[in-house]
Amino acid sequence: MTAAKPKTWLARLLLALLMTVTLLPFLSMFTAALAPSGSYPNGLSWPADPQWSNFARAFEAANMGQLVLSSTLIVLGVVPVSVLAATMAGYGLAKLTGGRNRWIYLVFVAGLTLPFEAVITPLYYEVRAFGLLNTRFAIILPLIGLYMPFSVYWMRAHFLNVPNDLTEAAQLDGATRWKEFWLVQVPLARPAIMSLTILLFLWTWNQFLLPVVLVKDPSRRTMAGALGAFQGQWGTDVPLLCAGSLLILAPTVLLFLAFQRHFVAALLQGSVKG
Amino acid sequence: MAGLKLQDVRKNFGAVEVIKGVDLEVEHGEFVVFVGPSGCGKSTLLRMIAGLEETTSGRLEIGDRLVNDVEPRDRGVAMVFQSYALYPHMTVYDNVGFGLKLAGTPKAVRDAKIRAAARVLQMEHLLDRKPAQLSGGQRQRVAIGRAIVREPDVFLFDEPLSNLDAALRVDMRMELARLHTDLGATMVYVTHDQVEAMTLADKIVVLEGGIVQQVGSPLDLYNRPANLFVAGFIGSPKMNFLAVTVDSVTDDAIRLASPLLAAPAVAAPRSWMLPGDRLTLGIRPHALLLDDTGPIGGEVTLVERLGNETIVRIRLDAATEVTAALAGQRDVALGAAARLGLAPDDAHLFDNDGRRL
Repeated sequence: MTAAKPKTWLARLLLALLMTVTLLPFLSMFTAALAPSGSYPNGLSWPADPQWSNFARAFEAANMGQLVLSSTLIVLGVVPVSVLAATMAGYGLAKLTGGRNRWIYLVFVAGLTLPFEAVITPLYYEVRAFGLLNTRFAIILPLIGLYMPFSVYWMRAHFLNVPNDLTEAAQLDGATRWKEFWLVQVPLARPAIMSLTILLFLWTWNQFLLPVVLVKDPSRRTMAGALGAFQGQWGTDVPLLCAGSLLILAPTVLLFLAFQRHFVAALLQGSVKG
Repeated sequence: MAGLKLQDVRKNFGAVEVIKGVDLEVEHGEFVVFVGPSGCGKSTLLRMIAGLEETTSGRLEIGDRLVNDVEPRDRGVAMVFQSYALYPHMTVYDNVGFGLKLAGTPKAVRDAKIRAAARVLQMEHLLDRKPAQLSGGQRQRVAIGRAIVREPDVFLFDEPLSNLDAALRVDMRMELARLHTDLGATMVYVTHDQVEAMTLADKIVVLEGGIVQQVGSPLDLYNRPANLFVAGFIGSPKMNFLAVTVDSVTDDAIRLASPLLAAPAVAAPRSWMLPGDRLTLGIRPHALLLDDTGPIGGEVTLVERLGNETIVRIRLDAATEVTAALAGQRDVALGAAARLGLAPDDAHLFDNDGRRL
């Protein structure tokens, strides 16, 4: 027991170090955001006269209200549809197909190996052919498709763990497959659905490449995507840029604080399953 | 309520035939138990009746209706699973009422039925709980309640007591017997526990290797096992088997000899038997008595004193031991010599193919 003590301290020290390394850039951004406009703050110095108004200016300059709305619309377009489709597909692949139809599942797994960057150019031409360039659908539809391999894989892993007896009991109780799905399987899948929803929300909210390539108008992008335009426009005003970046980060941080437990569960689930 | 009829029912999993032509008739209101060792096909057969496994060929009738291609939900059966298979997210009340809800039963009727079932199973105080908050025995009750409320034609039980501890199993067994009397329903019950089979069944179906070995009442099977398998499977402790040769046949007795026997054994006469025939002699442990002139003699290798009876094992030769269950508390010493005898009517004889003579 006495030998464990120094080790605990060492572990704590390492954790503290890691935390500092993680938080330092944010802190640096925060102090920079409070520096007077147009100045070039260096490092971690607390400004003599903190300019809180930078946040208000950034909010206006980036058209933040519009961005929040746009991001929300995109999230609402992507996440519910993706989760619903993945839940149904996951159930189907776990419980309704077997033997000869296993290849369908392999198609989804193959999707997991496809690097996102590899499809972005063909995606551009396809979206253009559909006449959807520069609309939010240019982000929503591809994202739904791109999320499917992982989401289906995730939900299938959950449904595989639900005992078959429950399915059979529901069938004998008089449930059709459809009713069994909605009344028995979906309620039981709530933790998996919740985790998937959170992950998809994060990935959509932080989606950068797709909006930058497919949507020209920053007010129709996601917040992270709009950051690209913001940087181009205000790249020389470092305090304003930092304030804007922090504002763009805020919703995800708030979400994380609100759903901490689910986040951890989601990540653990991923580590155990599969 | 209805009976059940199986005609040359078969089931293949790929190229493997697991049910090899079962014929069976179950009367309305009968309690039938499928019994057999693991992998004998008893659960598969039950699942075929439920509709959870497809029937490869043959006719399966519930009531007078051919149900081969009928969905499980439309067969009029309810099943109690070994794992209970309760819906974890629903309360006991909702679990029991789920089938009724799906059937669109009006709420008031549903409520009355759920409460009636809860009363029968003495679980009214559990209705608001979730399955995770229940003990094994309570979960089993809920699973039975879920079956009862649907008022099915046939109840199916798949090893429902095997997850319970020994004491609870005895209680639930009695409760199931009472339930069968109260409901008067047709019940098909699968178990590998022959005590459950003997105590619950009107009719036992012994299965081995996907083939019905014998169908009959519990005492029928005990007293007149159709073959060596049934003889060895039904009854505890297991029946003793000895290879013997027919020594002489008279009108009122058959004398059997064997190098293992200290004296010839005498069995009641049967037809078609000639001196020199090689047979298997089966003797139930409970049929053996201490008898100084009896045919079975050897060294006592094990004594178990249970109070009401004394289990004794006697070694005849290096490879053969005989078990006897002697009534009461007997003064038998380990390592001593003992002789056992039996009444001629208690000798079971089987031919070379293992069939009863």
